[in-house]
Amino acid sequence: MNRREFLEAGGGILFAGVSCAYAGHLLTSYATKTTGEDSPAFGKKMGMVIDVNKCRKGCTECLKACKAENNIAQPGDSRWDVHWIRKVTLKDKNNTNVPEKPVVLLCNHCDKPPCAQVCPVQATFKRPDGIVIVDYHRCIGCRYCVIACPYNARYFNFKEAEVWSNKGYPRRTHGVAEACNLCAHRLEIGDVPACVVACQNIGAGAITVGDMNDPESDISKLIANNSTKRIRMDLGTEPKVHYIGL
Amino acid sequence: MEVKFESVEGRSLQYYLLLLVLALMAAAGAAVTWWASISGLWITGMTNRIPWGFQIVMAVYYIGFSEGCLVVAGLYGVFGKREYKPFVRIAVYLAMLFLIAGLLSIFTDQGRMDRVFVEPFIHFNLQSMFSINPILYLGHIVICLIFLGALFKEKEGFTRVIATLAFAWAFCVHSGTGAIFGYGARELYESPMLPATFVAAAMASGIALMIVVIVSLFKITKRQVDDGLILWLGKLMAVTITVVVYFVFVENAYRAYIVELREAAHYYLFGGFHSILFWFGLVLCGMILPMLIIFNRKTGHSVRWVIIASVLVLFGVLCERYVIVLPGLTHPPDLFPGMEITTVPGIKVDDGVVSYSISFVEVVQALGVVGVIGFLFVFGLKVLKLLPNEARVLDHHTPAS
Repeated sequence: MNRREFLEAGGGILFAGVSCAYAGHLLTSYATKTTGEDSPAFGKKMGMVIDVNKCRKGCTECLKACKAENNIAQPGDSRWDVHWIRKVTLKDKNNTNVPEKPVVLLCNHCDKPPCAQVCPVQATFKRPDGIVIVDYHRCIGCRYCVIACPYNARYFNFKEAEVWSNKGYPRRTHGVAEACNLCAHRLEIGDVPACVVACQNIGAGAITVGDMNDPESDISKLIANNSTKRIRMDLGTEPKVHYIGL
Repeated sequence: MEVKFESVEGRSLQYYLLLLVLALMAAAGAAVTWWASISGLWITGMTNRIPWGFQIVMAVYYIGFSEGCLVVAGLYGVFGKREYKPFVRIAVYLAMLFLIAGLLSIFTDQGRMDRVFVEPFIHFNLQSMFSINPILYLGHIVICLIFLGALFKEKEGFTRVIATLAFAWAFCVHSGTGAIFGYGARELYESPMLPATFVAAAMASGIALMIVVIVSLFKITKRQVDDGLILWLGKLMAVTITVVVYFVFVENAYRAYIVELREAAHYYLFGGFHSILFWFGLVLCGMILPMLIIFNRKTGHSVRWVIIASVLVLFGVLCERYVIVLPGLTHPPDLFPGMEITTVPGIKVDDGVVSYSISFVEVVQALGVVGVIGFLFVFGLKVLKLLPNEARVLDHHTPAS
């Protein structure tokens, strides 16, 4: 064996070794993935109920509160404005006698989130309590999640947020994706999301957030006592935002 | 026939000028990419409703080329057609370069390029096509490198093995690329046909590219190539176009037939600029005209006409890549079937059909990638023995017949 052949063989063995080690790392990392059992969030199933009948036409207090709480980037151009929560009006195409309905739209925190499935770096993931959240420090900005979300609920920071209204919550750099996280930082200290507070204090109290696994929670009672709908259930994503009166 | 491979001399003023132009293109692409990484991707013209634009169109276009290049390489490496041996090194080298081009386009399109070399390898997600594909792409590049090594060493037995592996791997690579869109829950994306259509269109575009590259390269370097070899490649290209025609027809017929998808199908076929690209670019230029040219007795036996057909296919498949990526985004998802969504006054959100136009920045980025790949190709011709002394139809077997 001459020197060239030795180097070639050595390079091949090294490449094969590194490949096998990496494959082993991937497989073991999947096998040892934590279940989240040690997390205080384990066993919970956070969701939201929005009562469309209560939601007032023209009221946007929840939107304003969300923007202020989460330092949402609003460059002032509809192409790049970020909306963790937004409001639309629904009109029946076939029956004009049906009154228009104001509907609040946001991340549905799906039980089977397509955004988390497609994320190549697991930056978007579902927490043990069911909240779908983004790790801004891991996101590479590929925007596959924005495309995969069938609800148009995910946004990408094309521009950086210029205002920093809430110093208790970080701003995001441009280049990462984001969506509503049910104000996870507020839930952790026993508070409720900013939109819920705003809707209760200034709005009509149309939004309720809570643990759907707790039969005594307000949200469980609302779901049990009302006929609720979820958006595009046919997609199999199991959204956790329920609507009353939709 | 013993094929001797050699490198080009590459000492002429034209050669250096070409390298300079390509380097400048690459530098311009790098400059705007740097600008985008500092200012944010809004400068590319993409929006929250159109989060993928021309860079992704070009990425899948480049990646597709590598399939067709490997088909040409496989004629010798897999199917043992020795008369195609003269093209095999160029074909494998191009297959590798175009995969790099695709990766480069995807890389420069990321919001946080600084994390691309670390996070995807640490937090690999087996469920994501975007995780699986880079592994397929990198594997493809490594296989092409080994393939090239086997060719340079003239190891015939090993060449057969690695060529077969490359051929099979390319099917996975291109099916995987098609699956990025085909497995997406959007009305104009979701389709199990899409990966197959992608592979067929990739073959057509890659063979078309090989025809154009071979003929122009042999002419510029004053080398002899038999018409029969090019004409047969033209026929092979036409066969792959026939497959594309069938797949595209089935896909659109399905959408038009299913009631829930009918509105989306109408939008796809008659909904705006993309429809022009579909009918004029893909159907007329990419399918009908090339097939008429190739299957016509007179024009099908003219290298000049086969080149025209190849250029038309290149344009047609570019349009096909555009209509894979963009209409699925400009068309909104149907959140509330049977209901009309209007935005509340004072809140600017684009809920309906939105428009998209390719921006100057995106064009410069795409040209930058062409610059990098072109530079590597032209430089490779000088430092590697890629070009044969000649390419002739073998006496005992005439593939053009």
